[in-house]
Amino acid sequence: MSRFFSNKRLILLMLGVILLVALISYSLRDRDNVSFPEQLIKDTVGAGQSLFSGPAHFVTGIFDNVDSLLNTYKENQHLKGRLEEFAAVQAEVTDLRSENGQLKEIVGKEADLRDYNPIQATVIARNPDQWEEKVILNKGESDGVKPDMAVMTARGLIGKVTLVTATTSTVELVSTQNPNYRVSSMVIGGEEGVFGLIEGYDAERRELLLKRIDAQIELEVGQQVVSSGLGGIFPKGIIIGEITEITIDEFGLTQLAYVKPAADFTLLNHVMIADREMPDEDDFEAATEEEGS
Amino acid sequence: MIRYILPLIALVLFFLEPVFGLFSPLQFDGDYYYIVPRFLLMFLIFVSVYYDAKHAMFYGLFFGLLYDVFFIDIIGLYSFLYPMMCLIAGYIVKSVHRNLFVATLLTLVLTALFEFVLYLFFSFISLVSMPVDIFLTSRLLPTMVANSLFLVMLGWAFRSVIMARLIEKDNSKV
Repeated sequence: MSRFFSNKRLILLMLGVILLVALISYSLRDRDNVSFPEQLIKDTVGAGQSLFSGPAHFVTGIFDNVDSLLNTYKENQHLKGRLEEFAAVQAEVTDLRSENGQLKEIVGKEADLRDYNPIQATVIARNPDQWEEKVILNKGESDGVKPDMAVMTARGLIGKVTLVTATTSTVELVSTQNPNYRVSSMVIGGEEGVFGLIEGYDAERRELLLKRIDAQIELEVGQQVVSSGLGGIFPKGIIIGEITEITIDEFGLTQLAYVKPAADFTLLNHVMIADREMPDEDDFEAATEEEGS
Repeated sequence: MIRYILPLIALVLFFLEPVFGLFSPLQFDGDYYYIVPRFLLMFLIFVSVYYDAKHAMFYGLFFGLLYDVFFIDIIGLYSFLYPMMCLIAGYIVKSVHRNLFVATLLTLVLTALFEFVLYLFFSFISLVSMPVDIFLTSRLLPTMVANSLFLVMLGWAFRSVIMARLIEKDNSKV
């Protein structure tokens, strides 16, 4: 033991600890961009990782296929039941869409918070230690990905982009415990304009918390929650989940709802990054001028 | 060729970890179980037991840095803990008999210690709020079960590869 703590080693150990604390506190800051060496490492490791995740997705794909083959009969029954309903809904949607388009033409409104360009991406890695809910995608800045963009699967929102390098991007899932993680959202299926913030995640119930809803508004269990598009970069109307319980928040002033996420956060494979078609500033100015004159 | 076999295995294990991480958490009876693959750490501890703690610490520093930058964006966490675990393994193995069973046991104990230190760290920076008992049942236990399965299956392979490298090194000296 005395050899272990000889002077030279002790000093080295102390220096190591100091360096460690400095590095950790440097990297714990809220950083919007990554430094150049980090970008280099991320891109290189990302390229190597893609080589390994390709075959892995292939294997899980086979298992998925076998699984869905086994469930075919049950699913077929279920889907037949839904098919008639679907035809009616489809007709209604087409009708409403064309009507919406005509109305927009009449008002001269072109930009919409709903419009976005999907960027298809594949998950190449999930943080193996799973303390932070992060996944890494194979698309980066060169494909037009920017920080804070919404990421979703076919079933709903899963997270947003936090860090971008040239060819990879890091996504923080909505199931994170990070207190600074908010998604402005709204409840549909009831009164118009019920807005709230998705803020926090209940790890035991595995449900999201929808906070800051006006206490006067009556919500119902089963209503759908979608993104409102008012937060800036998220497009409007991405499905987040379904309300399962409504309570009053800790201060008793606003309501809090538990939202069961629509998307499944396990076994993520193909995802979509939503690049919102933001109204250009020129258009915006032109529109305001028109109104003014 | 065999000269580069140890870093090569470490690299492959480094890339395999997140692939297995994609399968976790496992849902079973409504409860979720997190399995964290620690292949690289276990391999590094084997290297420091059978080969040389210094080499193991060097690999640990390198791969720890990659891990920090690529996955968790907190630089200095894994790049400190990996060499630390190798250092401890190197010290312990000097005073015990070196066989496969002891090496496996030591590796598993250190892996559990590693998990626990990480848990303490992430609770400390308040990234997670998880009571100790839930940590033990839903994370540590399944992780250790899965990792010991891996080690029991591949521990002897690790040892024979490292031994082969050791023999090669001795031969080249002569």
